[in-house]
Amino acid sequence: MTAAPGARRAAAALALAILAAGCASTSSRTQAASSPATPFSLATAVTGPGATWASVPMGATSGANQFWQLFLLPAGSSRWSLQTPPDIATNGALLLAGQPGQGVIVGERPSLSLTFSAITTTRDGGRTWATLPPAAGLSDVPDALAAAPDGRLLALGGNQQVTTTGPAGNWATLTTGRALAATPAARNCGLTGLTAAAYTPAGSPLLAGACSRPGVTGIFASAGGTWQLAGPALPASLAGQQIRVLRLSRAGGQDVALLQAGTGTAASLLAAWTSDGGQHWQLSAPLGLDGTNPVSVSFGAGGAAAVVLGGNRGETLAGPGVSWHALPPLPAGHAITLAMPAAEITEALAASGTRLTVWRLTSGPAAWVRTQAITVPIQYGSSG
Amino acid sequence: MPGMDNGLNAGDPTVVAAFRAALLHQGLIIAAIFAVLSIAWVAVRRPAAAPVRAAVPEPAGRQVLRIGFGLLWLLDGLLQAQPRMAAGLPSQVIEPTASSSPPWVQHLVNWAGTSWSYHPIQAGAATVWIQAGIGLWLLASWRGPASRLAGLVSAGWGLVVWVFGESFGGIFAPGLTWLFGAPGAALAYCAAGLLIALPERPWRTPRLGRAVLAGFGVFLAGMAVLQAWPGRGFWQGGRDGTLAGMVQTMAGTPQPRFISGLVSLFGSFTDQHGFAVNLVAVIALAVTGVAFVSGRRQVVRPALAGFAVLCLADWVLVEDMGIFGGLGTDPNSMIPMVLLAAGGYLALTRVPAAAPATTETAESAAETAEATPETISARPGPGWRDRLRPTAVRESVATASLGTMLSVGAVAVIALGAAPMAAAQASPVASTILAQAIDGDTAPMNSPAPDFTLTDQHGSQVALSSLRGKVVLLTFLDPVCVTDCPLIAAEFRVAAQLLGGNARRVELVAVDVNPLYNELVYTQAFDRQEGLDTVPDWRYLTGSPATLRQVYRAYGIVSETAPGGAMLAHNDIAFAIDQSGHLREELNFDPGPGTTATKSSFAAELADAATKLLRAS
Repeated sequence: MTAAPGARRAAAALALAILAAGCASTSSRTQAASSPATPFSLATAVTGPGATWASVPMGATSGANQFWQLFLLPAGSSRWSLQTPPDIATNGALLLAGQPGQGVIVGERPSLSLTFSAITTTRDGGRTWATLPPAAGLSDVPDALAAAPDGRLLALGGNQQVTTTGPAGNWATLTTGRALAATPAARNCGLTGLTAAAYTPAGSPLLAGACSRPGVTGIFASAGGTWQLAGPALPASLAGQQIRVLRLSRAGGQDVALLQAGTGTAASLLAAWTSDGGQHWQLSAPLGLDGTNPVSVSFGAGGAAAVVLGGNRGETLAGPGVSWHALPPLPAGHAITLAMPAAEITEALAASGTRLTVWRLTSGPAAWVRTQAITVPIQYGSSG
Repeated sequence: MPGMDNGLNAGDPTVVAAFRAALLHQGLIIAAIFAVLSIAWVAVRRPAAAPVRAAVPEPAGRQVLRIGFGLLWLLDGLLQAQPRMAAGLPSQVIEPTASSSPPWVQHLVNWAGTSWSYHPIQAGAATVWIQAGIGLWLLASWRGPASRLAGLVSAGWGLVVWVFGESFGGIFAPGLTWLFGAPGAALAYCAAGLLIALPERPWRTPRLGRAVLAGFGVFLAGMAVLQAWPGRGFWQGGRDGTLAGMVQTMAGTPQPRFISGLVSLFGSFTDQHGFAVNLVAVIALAVTGVAFVSGRRQVVRPALAGFAVLCLADWVLVEDMGIFGGLGTDPNSMIPMVLLAAGGYLALTRVPAAAPATTETAESAAETAEATPETISARPGPGWRDRLRPTAVRESVATASLGTMLSVGAVAVIALGAAPMAAAQASPVASTILAQAIDGDTAPMNSPAPDFTLTDQHGSQVALSSLRGKVVLLTFLDPVCVTDCPLIAAEFRVAAQLLGGNARRVELVAVDVNPLYNELVYTQAFDRQEGLDTVPDWRYLTGSPATLRQVYRAYGIVSETAPGGAMLAHNDIAFAIDQSGHLREELNFDPGPGTTATKSSFAAELADAATKLLRAS
């Protein structure tokens, strides 16, 4: 039987068409779903002897209409006030380094077309501001800027470059993430990246990061020109967990670190305190995260820590040797920042758009009581 | 896509007015050209001794393609003359079609979009005249080499439109479907142009028609397979269905209510009966494809009729006739598809019989020479120099037909449109019309520039009066600004490059407009950020807050603290100061959207201002 020429042509054409269509069609396979972790926020509060400062994202939830605001609560006061540094756009976030009295040093993270970080400081609770030499663009972590007791600054750049100011105030490179990772100390932990910079009370720099080697805490101190592992030894129960330093900050006469051990449902959080530059550490009990992620961390007086967790949860830790304390469900808001201005006082700063609502945790039956509301005159569109 | 969009509103009145003026200007020139051609033709024309009759008529299939696509090009040219086209085509037509294509396509298309954005008036007008000219040429030139050349030009321009305007018809993007115009209307223009450009010999046998239909059939069958391919979402109804989603998106574009209603209605129907609609489409495409491939007249005829109905339905219900949704540039793919199929069918079924000419003019003899190539080889024609002699030209005009004269005019239209665009493209700098559209015209001044003494980025004291003898371009910049100031700085940097050899006679000066961030470390950091630390005649001046504020007052500069984490509020302005220290021009310098095109445009405005003062000295 002979097929008609037309039929042959049709069959050939169909085969060609199928081939062509197969080449042009897109794959229907879906990529394995990966649930992105809640990004760790740069929102934080720091409490010094004279005041508590809080850096809070307001306006839009992201982008050029998100403006970070700085709030001040003088010691002994119950009223917060808006003290955002003037004459600079704060879209990139405000990073804080505490100063004595009502002072604070603020690093403005890069945003939009600005690629370096301006540094400003106030010593009088925001009445007057002065500028310090600008740093290369600060990293996207809350502890990218630190101040030594003698006024020197330490900055962790977005390019993992660590710089410090000298006596003349000029910035000089201390090390880089890559150089540090090549040291024997960092190889011992398998350093994957730097996440925090701090000074010890004696004025020595401390750097912290995430380690790929389980059970090792990536905190490094400079001794005699070489970097040494200076992190705490962890309990045996965490020996198999990778450790990431979420925060490292000087609080009064000590440094406090917040560590995340493991990931996913097995993850836990613990705090560590040292007053001698990492030679001796005190550790808190691990706090199981139950599958949630830490969202932001604030430090209070005496090394207290307050953590906002996903799912509207909050936990506080009054200091070394004290257990974690679960807070009642946090108030509603686009961004919640906890503050611990004094012992046994916990406040929640809930930001929504231009409105900041301050809630204080009552003693006795724990509940949030609204104590203050501040409307911030945000200039939407001014950075876009 | 960087650079693609010039950032201006498509209806920007300055651009619209300039576009209209350019079209009017070029339209008058074209009218003059046609007038001259008409007069010359009427004056020297020598009527034929006897009625002219071609040896054989133009093949019907070719005629359909030539006239059909000629009319389409004319319509496309008219659509390109829409007022919003000059500023809007890159952002509203090119960019959306390219957005889902792979990066290499976007890169290629971005180059063209950026070129358009740099010179929107010239590009917009060129497209109008090129497309109108091609249309006229196709309509007027019905036989011979000129007609074939028109087909080739049509195919070439169609290819340009297909690649750059339609991003290869979206064939590299996901969701490719014939129902929404794949593989691009312009590709049909290319195919038709190539068929028109063929010698007449292939048209005189049914083989060409069979080949056209077979090719078309394979294409339709492929589209059917693609439409039916599992996992592409076309079988799925509901909002998540590919087809329903596309129709609903189409319904959402701005268009007349009656079209919108029809498209919405079909969208709702597809929403509920997505599977059935796709099934009909797949079967219709597959059956038509197979019928075309068969090449049998009795099968092709009903298939063509059904295909025409399908195309018409798709054109109205899915493609919203192409020209009503958004900034329409053509009637989309269905009409060209029908024309192509009809051309193929006529080439198959209506093959012209060769017949000897009874009487021929010189022109028709030349036009039909292809049918008897041996005539040409036996009798070599005159050289091109001979053809350009006045007597030869006169003779040519005297014996030319109306179609020939219109063809000459059409070529002139194309050249007139293309020439300004080609000239504009030779310049790497964007037209200053963009800067004018954003900030209006510059304001002339003539008063002594208030003197001041400040510190430059190197720590040296600089008095403005010490710069006399040079042209000074002065502006005010905030070193920690996140938006406008970096753009303005970039514009100054580019202006320095544009000034070339004149740059050494021009000082680019900025004054720190943020008194809080007034230390040298901030002006230096800003210079490094913007690459100004390597520009020779760049000076970024600062001083004490009190001194700076005096300068602000003298130049009418606003510098105000804004609350809530906003950057310092200040006006964006630049001054051109002549060699004698007189303010000669004030330029509003709000950089607008800060696109590649607008930055280049402002830089050009700065360079122009400086060059003007240098020339005046």
